[in-house]
Amino acid sequence: MLELDRIQVAYGAATALWDVSIRIAAGELVCVVGPNGAGKTTLINAIAGLNRIASGTLSMDGRNLNRLPRHRFCDQGIAIVPEGRRLFSGMSVLENLELGSYRRAARVYRRQSLERVYSIFPVLRERLDAPAGTLSGGQQQMLAIGRALMAQPRLLLLDEPSLGLAPSVVLEMFNVVREINRGGVAVLLVEQNVAMALEVAARAYVLEEGRIVAEGIPKQLLAQPHIRRAYLGEAPDS
Amino acid sequence: MSWPSLTLLGQSLLSGIFIGALYGLLGLGLSLSWGMLRQINLAHFALAFLGAYLTYQLASVGGMDPLAALLVIVPCFFAFGAALHWLFARFSISPFNSLLVTFGVTVIMESLIQWIWTADYRRLESHYGEIKFRIGTLFVPFPELLTLLVAIALALGTWAALHYTDLGKALRAAAEDAPIAAAFGVNDRALALLLSGLSAAFAGVAGACLALSYTLAPSQIYAWIGVVFAAVMIGGLGNPIGPLIAGIVIGSSEALTMAVTAPAWAPLVSFSLLIIVLLARPQKI
Amino acid sequence: MRIPAPAWIAVAGLALATVPYFKLPAFYESFLYLIFHWIVLATSWNILSGYSGYFSFGHGAFFGVGMYTTATLAGKFDVPFLWTLPAAALLAAVTGVGLGWVVFRVPRLRGELFALITLAVTFVIGTIILNTPIDGGPGIYLSAVPIPAIMPTASATFYVLALVMAIGTLWIAYAIYHSKLGTGLFAIHDDEDVAEVLGVPTFRYKLAAFAISCALAGIAGGIQAMFVSYVTMGDTFSIVVPLNVILMSVLGGTRHWLGPAVGATVITALLYAFTAGDFAVAGRAAVGLILIVAILFLPEGLLGRFVRRRRRREPSPQPIGAGIAAMPATFAAPAQAGMNPLLEVRGVSKAFKGLQALDAVDLDVRRGEILGLIGPNGSGKSTLINVVSGHYRSDQGRIVFQGRDVAGEEAHRIAHAGIARTYQIPRPFAHLSVLQNVALTAMFGRAALDSAAAEREARYWLEFTGLAAKADALPEDLNLHQRKFLELARVLASRPTLLLLDEVLSGLTPSEIDNAIGTIRAIRDRGATIVFVEHVMRAVMELTDRIVVLNYGRVIAEGKPEDVMRRPEVVTAYLGKPPVGKPHA
Repeated sequence: MLELDRIQVAYGAATALWDVSIRIAAGELVCVVGPNGAGKTTLINAIAGLNRIASGTLSMDGRNLNRLPRHRFCDQGIAIVPEGRRLFSGMSVLENLELGSYRRAARVYRRQSLERVYSIFPVLRERLDAPAGTLSGGQQQMLAIGRALMAQPRLLLLDEPSLGLAPSVVLEMFNVVREINRGGVAVLLVEQNVAMALEVAARAYVLEEGRIVAEGIPKQLLAQPHIRRAYLGEAPDS
Repeated sequence: MSWPSLTLLGQSLLSGIFIGALYGLLGLGLSLSWGMLRQINLAHFALAFLGAYLTYQLASVGGMDPLAALLVIVPCFFAFGAALHWLFARFSISPFNSLLVTFGVTVIMESLIQWIWTADYRRLESHYGEIKFRIGTLFVPFPELLTLLVAIALALGTWAALHYTDLGKALRAAAEDAPIAAAFGVNDRALALLLSGLSAAFAGVAGACLALSYTLAPSQIYAWIGVVFAAVMIGGLGNPIGPLIAGIVIGSSEALTMAVTAPAWAPLVSFSLLIIVLLARPQKI
Repeated sequence: MRIPAPAWIAVAGLALATVPYFKLPAFYESFLYLIFHWIVLATSWNILSGYSGYFSFGHGAFFGVGMYTTATLAGKFDVPFLWTLPAAALLAAVTGVGLGWVVFRVPRLRGELFALITLAVTFVIGTIILNTPIDGGPGIYLSAVPIPAIMPTASATFYVLALVMAIGTLWIAYAIYHSKLGTGLFAIHDDEDVAEVLGVPTFRYKLAAFAISCALAGIAGGIQAMFVSYVTMGDTFSIVVPLNVILMSVLGGTRHWLGPAVGATVITALLYAFTAGDFAVAGRAAVGLILIVAILFLPEGLLGRFVRRRRRREPSPQPIGAGIAAMPATFAAPAQAGMNPLLEVRGVSKAFKGLQALDAVDLDVRRGEILGLIGPNGSGKSTLINVVSGHYRSDQGRIVFQGRDVAGEEAHRIAHAGIARTYQIPRPFAHLSVLQNVALTAMFGRAALDSAAAEREARYWLEFTGLAAKADALPEDLNLHQRKFLELARVLASRPTLLLLDEVLSGLTPSEIDNAIGTIRAIRDRGATIVFVEHVMRAVMELTDRIVVLNYGRVIAEGKPEDVMRRPEVVTAYLGKPPVGKPHA
């Protein structure tokens, strides 16, 4: 469904991603792990249309998206839950959700989408008029995911959703992500919390210093020294 | 210093409210473009005066009803506003530089106005000016009342549009975080052009109201800048109703000050308020 | 031998001083008077606003204060005209310093807000003057005041006075431009917070520039008062003066001491050329158009291009080798010898809008060690660096550096004490060359060198970090690796006792990282103590003597790298353990 073929993306004056190729099939839950500064956010932003692709192709169902204006990416069924949430904090919870379904195709289903979001995150229904900035960290994360779901996505992009959340909330959130994926939405999850990410993902990529250095199913990757080295700087004790 | 009569105070207060409404009307477009587009459009005032002079011309010389002149002015000004934003976006002009560029535009417009209409005072004599209402002992001239009503209508209408329509919400979202709004389908670039055009159109409307009540001279353009900026800053950037309320407060304070002391102390009110607000609550946007 | 610019100015001034003796029509003297007058106003404005970036819209206020001082003293109290000029300068300066003292303390009042508040002050002062006995309404007549007989005619006298002021103002602008004050102002222009952290006393410098700027405007006002011989509020306290000086300076180039003078000459000539009838209006429109074109296409002004090109053509005055050999190889030894830790952080907490970034952090930094500071994203590492360097103020706790508690001190004092830091995302001064960036810390940091010594010091550190070839380039011409090393060279030039490195290696390629590791080791070998925030584990393991691990703002482990990285709580913090109750299958 989604295919990145040898893409190169710049971040400011430097090149952040080199020769990156990733595939996500419809309904798959794929994660990308890697150390800080590896380029994970640049990758997600490129798929969402927020970063320009310097070379290589980004295609959805075979259609090249490189030259698409950034406000047309969501029409392809791509929705993003950005790093740090990036909610419209001056606007209410309800308005944030409504903005999620701004695109015409999603607007028609606004009522149903809202009900679906309330059933997944009941707490949001209780705080509809509250400015988004007054919610707790966990609630903000839920709102950000809810906003993305309102767009009726086929592919959900999640950028470090566990960041800044208390460990108990993190568990709940990953359950939600699992549930959403079971509902048929493909998910690309970028995470620092490697153990959690590998628990939920069907396939994973390891990104280091802008390049894909490993790919495979979680069991295989955990057995490799790559991940331990990338995060802890040493090979595991034999 | 003798205490003036209740009627005089009441009339002063009323005239203060009316002029405050005009401050708010002028501030509406300025507040929207500064708060939501990060462009400080100093030319807003020259634009309003151009609208005033055009209204004067179409009504006095062209024989049009002054309000009908708006049918011509509004679309033209809308186009101008959109073009101005396009220029700012094309050259990636910072908020401060937008202040300088629009000052240049102001000077050009002021010269244009002076060249066409000369520096002589111009006064639009319309049948509207002759209508007056009475409330008790107070006189309410129709043009001023109209200005107040238009100011309230536009402020409330804009506020309602921003809060109850999808387009308005999209505008607010784009003003806060344009890339993320775009990620959800908001064409932030097109909306920015729309908003800039709307601000300029509001300037035109303010100009028409100006023409109905005041005598016009090119030098007058600068007289309004300080007090309207004060109203916008006190009322809150990007807030359509704030400048109106702040404008009315400033206008009333000025008018009462003038009635109770010498008229020349009036500017002190708005500028002192501005300084206090800037010092006490200087969060930007 | 190059003749310095001020000498040229003096020569030109002497030549121009002879003009009255040619008995030309009065028009020429008036015209030149106007040019000198605007040169003074624009150049004086630029000293604060152009150099530091604090665009004031209130220059008319100080000009007006000067005018009214002279008008009042000479017109109402019969003080001889020339004696009123120092008074005008003093009063205008006091007004400016008073305003600056309040406004410069509020960090949010920069950019357009500073412009607005200075504009508002103009109208307030004007209104007060209008309504009090100072003016009272009718203005002040000065026709009865005797004009000093410096030259044969009155017109010539004013001409010469204005000429002298113009020369003096240009000399002052030149001097400041080449002085420590000027360098500090330019740094403030590009990034005030970083300048403060690197040791520039920003508040003092802004006040000084403001005072000088206002004093000069005040004198110009005093002279103008006599020249027009009738002073009213409306002509003085308006938006016209500030807008003109801004236009002139922007056109000529705000970053150059001569820029405003060039702009003033061009604009005054243009306006004068269009004096007659219809053309006056067209002339003003042309001026507006010029301003727009200047902002869009010539943001650096007419002289801006010139400044850039010159910088690149100037050859290095010294061969590189000589500089290196002469450098002492070590950093100054810390003031307190002995076994006490160099830095003791005790109970430091910092919260941002409900988020506890640092929570009662305790740690020691020992002399001569490389201490690694690690932790997952959001654990508070950068916040700790910001608090220790003075960029933020901690809510609680003590930060004892070499026996002295520096918590809460102004950042530039902390820099003088010997603490220096790099920024995770490099923040060089964009308009200063690489060399100037580094020389700045040598001048303002702990070492506090004069500008010649600072430049030598800077060249040494550029050589050390491999940037010598780029000394005259601007930061925007460097790639990320070079910019990170510029950050490094910049902090090294202040010869700090304690060096805080914030993610210096992120974004670098493996070979660049190897290079950097070697460099950092060399720095420590020269006597510096280093706190090293990093995510690149390889570097942390290789370089550090001890590490401290932060998580959620708290210290969770401390000790030797190999030991700490094996502890379960650290592993959990980084890899994240699936807690009891895994996600449902």
